[in-house]
Amino acid sequence: MDKKECIVLKDAALGYKKPNAAISILKNINLAFYPGDFVGVVGLNGVGKSTLLKSLCGLLPVLEGNILIDQQPINDLLLNELAKKIAIVLTEKIGGFNLTAYDAVAAGQMPYTNSFNRLKKENLAIIDLAIKTCGITQHQHKLLNELSDGLFQKTIIAKALAQQTPIMLLDEPSAFLDYASKHDLFILLKKLAEEENKCILVSSHDLDLLLKYCSKLLLISQNSFELISISEAKNNKTFIEIGGGFI
Amino acid sequence: MEKNNTIKFLILICLLIVACLLSLFFGGSERINLSELSSNNFIFWHIRFPKTITAIIAGCTLSVSGLILQIIFRNPLAGPFVLGISSGASLMVAISILAGSALHLFSVFFIGKAFIVLSAITGSLLITFLILGISKKVNSNVVLLLIGLMLSQICGAVQTALEYFSDANSLKSFVIWGMGSLANTTNFDLLIYLPIALISLLALLFFVKPLNALLLGENYAQNVGINFKSSRFYLILISSVLTGLTTAFCGPIAFIGTAVPILSRMVFKSSKQHLHVTSCLLIGSIILLLSDAIANSAISNISLPINMITTFIGAPLVIYLMFKNKTW
Repeated sequence: MDKKECIVLKDAALGYKKPNAAISILKNINLAFYPGDFVGVVGLNGVGKSTLLKSLCGLLPVLEGNILIDQQPINDLLLNELAKKIAIVLTEKIGGFNLTAYDAVAAGQMPYTNSFNRLKKENLAIIDLAIKTCGITQHQHKLLNELSDGLFQKTIIAKALAQQTPIMLLDEPSAFLDYASKHDLFILLKKLAEEENKCILVSSHDLDLLLKYCSKLLLISQNSFELISISEAKNNKTFIEIGGGFI
Repeated sequence: MEKNNTIKFLILICLLIVACLLSLFFGGSERINLSELSSNNFIFWHIRFPKTITAIIAGCTLSVSGLILQIIFRNPLAGPFVLGISSGASLMVAISILAGSALHLFSVFFIGKAFIVLSAITGSLLITFLILGISKKVNSNVVLLLIGLMLSQICGAVQTALEYFSDANSLKSFVIWGMGSLANTTNFDLLIYLPIALISLLALLFFVKPLNALLLGENYAQNVGINFKSSRFYLILISSVLTGLTTAFCGPIAFIGTAVPILSRMVFKSSKQHLHVTSCLLIGSIILLLSDAIANSAISNISLPINMITTFIGAPLVIYLMFKNKTW
């Protein structure tokens, strides 16, 4: 393969820092992801999927080893540079203070605006496109805390799109979506990976969806990491174990 | 949308002018007629004028401080008074008045004032960081407010204890001051009060973007490139200076910091914080000016405590919001 890695983990230990101790949840991780990868992150509850995704965008510290984003150590990158490289969709709920769906998506353009957050014509066009792509045009002026869970999820995904990053991390984005929207989402993500060459990591418990749309799977179990191509999945022991024999 | 907001701002500016005139001409036991207004009218230039300006500065500083606190704690009911920050500032002022009279600091006017202002700011900083630490342990907005009220009670209790050990003069000065009043500021005080207030408010200009980003919570704020830890620190600093400063000159003033940002969000249905900062400046001044006019003219010859009026405005708003259980 000729492509350069966009994410590299070198002997990384990830977890939380408490005032007097570091609690590492994942240890000795050595992985590499490339532009155009559409990776499903699979593992049982509590195995550290969210920890991995949060660490990859700097929300959690690297306890040991290193994470390289575009060949640069993540800790050397300015927050604003990192914001232009990686967008994340988390499971947490936000809202209140008159925040509308539009405002949340517009926040995706913050890394590109001046210190008064003035939105220029090109910023507005990108925001509108992200809103249209995620199909929330009719709901854009509703308050965030009045949106249904599914629409809220789509709004935050639109925010990540508006951030225009080569890397997107999504933590259980399909959890609240209806059946059709789940497929729409995965089709959209697949398209972004294939046509815009984005590297997309998505954690999910919808194994059938991952099998159908992803190009690779990252299997996380008690401290082992396996990055496999999708064609190997059906014969992989860990994958079958995670599926509980139902897949 | 944009046009509507312009009209709303114009209305607010008109209200501000009316409120200024009311406070200037009716804000005392004696009404002043325009015909009496000459350059040597002592009541007008040495009592009314500094009081009106003080009302404007206090309104601006407390409401903006409240706005910052509400966003940092993502709690639409937060404010310097309900979180106990004003009481923390008061306590430090009480301590400094005691220490100051013991050390004879107050014989030199300027040093005495500066000492009080600094201790008030220190007091509000201490309580704000304490509340910030506590807020990480509690998830509920309402519990945080209760803790704030308890902190405020504790500060009050310590202050009462201190009053027992003070001599008659300093006791009188901080009992009166502790009731909250706009009338104790002289024209000379304004020379300290106004510039510090202006500088702190101008400093906030650099943090409007982080303020907007913090609405999304710490994680998303950082993911869109905002260093939330450092901006939160500076925002707390600004908010504490604003609260401490006003508490030093006017005593603890109730509910303005909580009520005004809530009103601002009711008037302007927007999440843009540069808009809310501006409207808090206007609405805060208007409300405090009107409260002052009401306090002085509601019952003839009696000047009611300003805190009574502001509590009547602020407390029902907080109760109303709790009933609606809606996050503004």
